[in-house]
Amino acid sequence: MSVIDILTRVDAICKKYDKYDVDKQRDLNVSGTMPSPAYSSMWRTTSRERFRCSFSSACLSSELASKEKNRASAVAMNAEIRRTKARLLEEVPKLQRLALKKVKGVSKEELAARNDLVLALPERIQSIPDGTASAVKQTSRWSASASSSHTEIRVDSTSDGKFESEYFQRTEESNQFRQEYEMRKLKQATGSRLDAIAEGLDTLKNMANDMNEELDRQVPLMDEIDTKVDRATADLKNTNVRLKETVHRMRSSRNFCIDIILLCIILGIAAYLYNVLKN
Amino acid sequence: MSKVDPEKLMVKAEKLTKLSFTRWTADWKSAVVLYEQAANEFRATRNDEKAKIAFEKASKCHEMISQPWDAAKHLESAGSLAKQLGEWNEVLDFFRRASELYSECGRAQPASDALAKGARLLAEVNPEEAIRLFNDACAILEEDGKEQMAFDLYRDATEVYIKLERYTDAASLLLRWGLAADHCKAVNSQCKAYLGAILVYLYTHDFKQAEKCYNDCSQIDAFLSSDQGRCSSKLLAAYEEGDAEEIKRICLSSAISHLDHMIIRLARKLPTGDLTSLRAKDAEEEALDEDDLT
Repeated sequence: MSVIDILTRVDAICKKYDKYDVDKQRDLNVSGTMPSPAYSSMWRTTSRERFRCSFSSACLSSELASKEKNRASAVAMNAEIRRTKARLLEEVPKLQRLALKKVKGVSKEELAARNDLVLALPERIQSIPDGTASAVKQTSRWSASASSSHTEIRVDSTSDGKFESEYFQRTEESNQFRQEYEMRKLKQATGSRLDAIAEGLDTLKNMANDMNEELDRQVPLMDEIDTKVDRATADLKNTNVRLKETVHRMRSSRNFCIDIILLCIILGIAAYLYNVLKN
Repeated sequence: MSKVDPEKLMVKAEKLTKLSFTRWTADWKSAVVLYEQAANEFRATRNDEKAKIAFEKASKCHEMISQPWDAAKHLESAGSLAKQLGEWNEVLDFFRRASELYSECGRAQPASDALAKGARLLAEVNPEEAIRLFNDACAILEEDGKEQMAFDLYRDATEVYIKLERYTDAASLLLRWGLAADHCKAVNSQCKAYLGAILVYLYTHDFKQAEKCYNDCSQIDAFLSSDQGRCSSKLLAAYEEGDAEEIKRICLSSAISHLDHMIIRLARKLPTGDLTSLRAKDAEEEALDEDDLT
């Protein structure tokens, strides 16, 4: 979920519940610090006051934002400033119309001056720093951290991309941001990364199936080897036992002693015969 | 072992086997030992011709003393030597005889292995014979119920067929492969064989045959619900619509890339021929059908 999405939703919600915002209402009813007493007679309208208040608050917030260390809140504040600026720009044409109205007690020069002031207003509004120049790049990087800080807001991903104009006024910064967002989304939807993953999975599946078949092929072979080797082992054991028995019989100690005794007897007899014959 | 002149050994062995006035029965046992020795010596000195003859004679002696296994082994060695000498008829004879001897022993696997070895050696020179050998080898294995071992043989035989450009034969062999795979429940190989057959038919631009093949194979549930089945139905649909780009895209997909390389080569060359002619034929047929109905 990108920051702009979250922010627009926050804005929408805030706007909806603006009338419950006590602080804001108080602000609206208190006259702001906007200069130029030339306006004082003419501009005693709530629109003027609102304008003044919004303008001053925008300037104030921009100052705070530039001082803000926490990036996420800086982003939020910048977005708020942008929203305010958009609203102010909206009101400029109204002021323009009011400026052109002929009200008694106002000289022609004043009228012209007022007109000029009104025309200068948009520039002044735009010049309020809202950190958009660097913010676009940075917010894209911070989107992860920003979205994690807004976890209490539930985001609805199915209505992505449906930014109706009632949610916010388009400035070129927001347009640019939105374009970037849509491009990113398109890339994800065509899924170059997802495609790679899918292809890898297909290869894995194929390999796994082939391995499965190979193992199935080898199971009966292994069984055959098992039987044959068992038979060979039994034969070998058998042979070994018989061999041991034979050797044992041939070389048993009892037979050996008898052999030696018989040999001695024969030698004795031979010696006796030799003696007899010699004599 | 002292180095004995192999020629002398051969002469001695000959004398043992020849019947003469003084000798009433041939002494095969000692003769075979001498022949084996001589053959090994000849092989070591790279005298292929003489080695081959020695192996042949040794094998005959083994046959005489009814040792078919050893006889077959010697014939195989003689066969590979004959291949080096380029005597292809002898190669064929030797390997066939070796296979028969193995079958006598009752061992089907070595019998088909011998035929397969001969076929591979002959594949370049005499592909017809090679195919016959492959078929016989597959038959031996199937009789013995060992179809799983036959997959490699089917693959090699299909390769030879495709090299010979006998595509209908190749396709029917692939279907036989599928049947063998079915017997041993190798579903993956079966589906791959069927997909290969459909591709071969499409390569010959025989769309009707390909469709028929697909319909036949769809009777088998395993194929119908497999990746390969889905891929082939997409391919046939693309053919019907005449969408060459779609066909190319499908041929690059993973289901086809996991087949054997010679089939992938064919797939990459699709679509062959003119796709619109297929559609025109279909349209005509439809018109006829309508007439028949009215």
